[in-house]
Amino acid sequence: MNIYLREMKAHRKGLIWWCVGMAALVASGMAKYDAYQAAGVSVQEMLAGLPKAVLTVFGMTGFDLTKASGFYGVLFLYIGLMAAIHSALLGAHLISKEERDRTSEFLYSKPVSRSSALTSKLLAGLTMVVILNAATLLSSFYFVNLFGKGESVSADILVLMAGLLLLQLIFFAIGAVVASIVRKPKAAPSIATSVMFLAFLTSYLVNMSESLDFLKYLSPFKYFDAATLMADGQLDPVYVALSVAIVALAAAGTYRLYSGRDLSV
Amino acid sequence: MNVFLRELSAYRKSTIIWCASLSAILIVFMALYPAFTTDVAATKQVLSQFPEALRTALNISLANFFTIYGFYGYLLGFALLAGAIQAMNVGTGIISKEVSGKTADFLLSKPMTRTRVVSAKLAAALTIIVITNVVFCVVSYLATLMAATETFAAGTLFLLASTMFLVQLVFLALGAFFAVLIPKIKSVIAVSMPTVFTLYIIGTLGDVLGNDKVRYLSPFKFYDTNYIIRNVSLEGKFIAIETAFIVVAIAASYVIYIKKDVRASA
Amino acid sequence: MNAIETSKLTKFYGTSRGIVDVDMTVNEGEIYGFIGPNGAGKSTTIRTLLGLIYATSGSATIFGKDVIKSGPEIRQEIGYLPSEVFYYDDMRAIDLLKYSASFYNKDQKVIGTRIKHLAELLDLDLKKKIDDLSYGNKKKVGIIQGLAHEPKLIILDEPTGGLDPLIQQQFFHLLKEENAKGATILFSSHILGEVQKLCDRVAIIKDGTIVKVEQIKTLLENSTKRFKLELVNTPDASAFDIDGVGDLAIANHSVSFLYRGRVNDITKILAEQDLIDFLVEEPDLEEIFMHYYQKEDVQ
Repeated sequence: MNIYLREMKAHRKGLIWWCVGMAALVASGMAKYDAYQAAGVSVQEMLAGLPKAVLTVFGMTGFDLTKASGFYGVLFLYIGLMAAIHSALLGAHLISKEERDRTSEFLYSKPVSRSSALTSKLLAGLTMVVILNAATLLSSFYFVNLFGKGESVSADILVLMAGLLLLQLIFFAIGAVVASIVRKPKAAPSIATSVMFLAFLTSYLVNMSESLDFLKYLSPFKYFDAATLMADGQLDPVYVALSVAIVALAAAGTYRLYSGRDLSV
Repeated sequence: MNVFLRELSAYRKSTIIWCASLSAILIVFMALYPAFTTDVAATKQVLSQFPEALRTALNISLANFFTIYGFYGYLLGFALLAGAIQAMNVGTGIISKEVSGKTADFLLSKPMTRTRVVSAKLAAALTIIVITNVVFCVVSYLATLMAATETFAAGTLFLLASTMFLVQLVFLALGAFFAVLIPKIKSVIAVSMPTVFTLYIIGTLGDVLGNDKVRYLSPFKFYDTNYIIRNVSLEGKFIAIETAFIVVAIAASYVIYIKKDVRASA
Repeated sequence: MNAIETSKLTKFYGTSRGIVDVDMTVNEGEIYGFIGPNGAGKSTTIRTLLGLIYATSGSATIFGKDVIKSGPEIRQEIGYLPSEVFYYDDMRAIDLLKYSASFYNKDQKVIGTRIKHLAELLDLDLKKKIDDLSYGNKKKVGIIQGLAHEPKLIILDEPTGGLDPLIQQQFFHLLKEENAKGATILFSSHILGEVQKLCDRVAIIKDGTIVKVEQIKTLLENSTKRFKLELVNTPDASAFDIDGVGDLAIANHSVSFLYRGRVNDITKILAEQDLIDFLVEEPDLEEIFMHYYQKEDVQ
């Protein structure tokens, strides 16, 4: 489709930068593992005695930092954060930029329906999200193996990347639906990232206190908690279902709202 | 000045929202303080068994960690993140409007030197940051007052809160600098968010993984909570670094902006 | 079949009125003008026809099909040139035009040839980036993307803004050619002269409603001109007291008035005056309407 190809081309440079950035994040994070190994301390036992709140401060709830996989688990939170920003901004931009740049008059006076244009745009976004995920996956494999001293981490990485993909899809969909609702195109990315930021904050709050555990359903970051995923070796079906539900609802909302409203001029 | 007032009015709604958000962060976190201090004695016992090296790497100072200051310092990590986004949004947004496009054509053809335009806008941006910080300090004090289980020195608290102002200034300058460098910024947040988060991650990762050099790279780490609590003052070295950075960034912004061609809006 | 037919088309933006009960019929093959002052509802009507905004009530069909239900299908045969043109800055003109062409189920090669032909006619460098084009040149891109696929219905919203007079002439020439081939043209403008030159019929829209639909011939006969005279001596008001003169203003050495009627009648009077200079202008649309409607109301 022409719209699909055009969106892919327009975002090409940005996507490359993001992929490079992600690879750099993984690389620098894992490079520290070498240095950390030198301290030669078994942190695990000592950390076990601390209350949850305190562990959160260290940002290492439940990881064995003597292992490369544990390290990567800590890194994963930040990988997820960056990927979430990318996805939310992407979703919001794809929908709102026609009105922001005033090219909506051009595009939507063409013989194309709103929903078919949306489909092309969303598919392009989906492709980009998958590409970023693949780049993260590949650099994770490479750098964890490079610095990991022969430890077998592949299974862990795979399950985390699967979780990452769902996380990306959730925020992508949220970005898109926000842009379909909000009339001012410039406000859409801000609102989408605010939602993401709120989710991030919530995940920290949940980590800090047992009594706030119920909030975990509100923050997609908690659906794919690195420590849990690596311990279980698989995604929690409840969270997967929840993710699918959110994405489906947001997608449906996007179609419904964007097709039915006036285009701002 | 008209430009100054107009910018203040344009950012009024966003400033209110940011002040409210920062206050919310303060209040929500402070409300959790009681939960945090439940097992102080036991925790301290466990931590004291950590080898010194590890404790330094994890940046734990036993004396400070479980005080209200230590907790506030932790909360500050988040608040600074939010504040940095606000500051960079303002810095980038307020300048990039006049780098190209219709508003640039309008304003720069008025009988006003470009220097005055930039100065007025930066002054407005600074005012917005100052207002935000006044609110932040007041709410910090009130929230801490309500949550504290022991008495605390307001002075130390305000010193900690002042890091918000200092960090925001850095991002304001950085934002303005980016605005004059990048010709057409269609989405301010697409520039500010990744930049702020990258610097944040550099700082936090460096912290967790025990690297001292990140303190020079990430504005979030310029001001160390423990140092402030212990010495009731800020590290002069970093204030100097920050000042130097801001002066260079702002000066460069002026120079570049004044010499630039303003692209037609067509 | 009617090219365009609207029935009680109404659009409110919240509480502010866009258009109210617009009934419009455009015959296939005609050039239909649409004039009115700024804010009258011209763009609203057009954007509703294109499906960019949705009517609050009422309906519209193009070539017999409902504009909402069959939107994409209808738009295969529509070419649209909006009043303000914005395109993707990162593309070159030729890329944008090829992208535009790709939406139509017509032979892309044929459209491609036509794009090049039109670009030559309008003097547009296709290799330039959209970002680097002046406003007028962007408008040329707009013209080409509206005409290249040889649509059956051409909708133009204040198309000549930004075009230099030579290109304007080329543009009108192109439109007449398309019309000769059978295309219907809906042409909205606030410049009376253009509408007069091109259109068969014209609808006058004011405050959201169509107040009159006229044949151009009739409008020409009824067209008002503003006369401004500079005289040697103080003029005598009674000399100008004939049918068709309105809004008469006399000063020490000048006279100004609106005149509608036979040109020869007024020039006879002018010939009897001791003139230093005189100026004949087309008044702006507001003046026409005010004068036009005042008379109507009085009657």
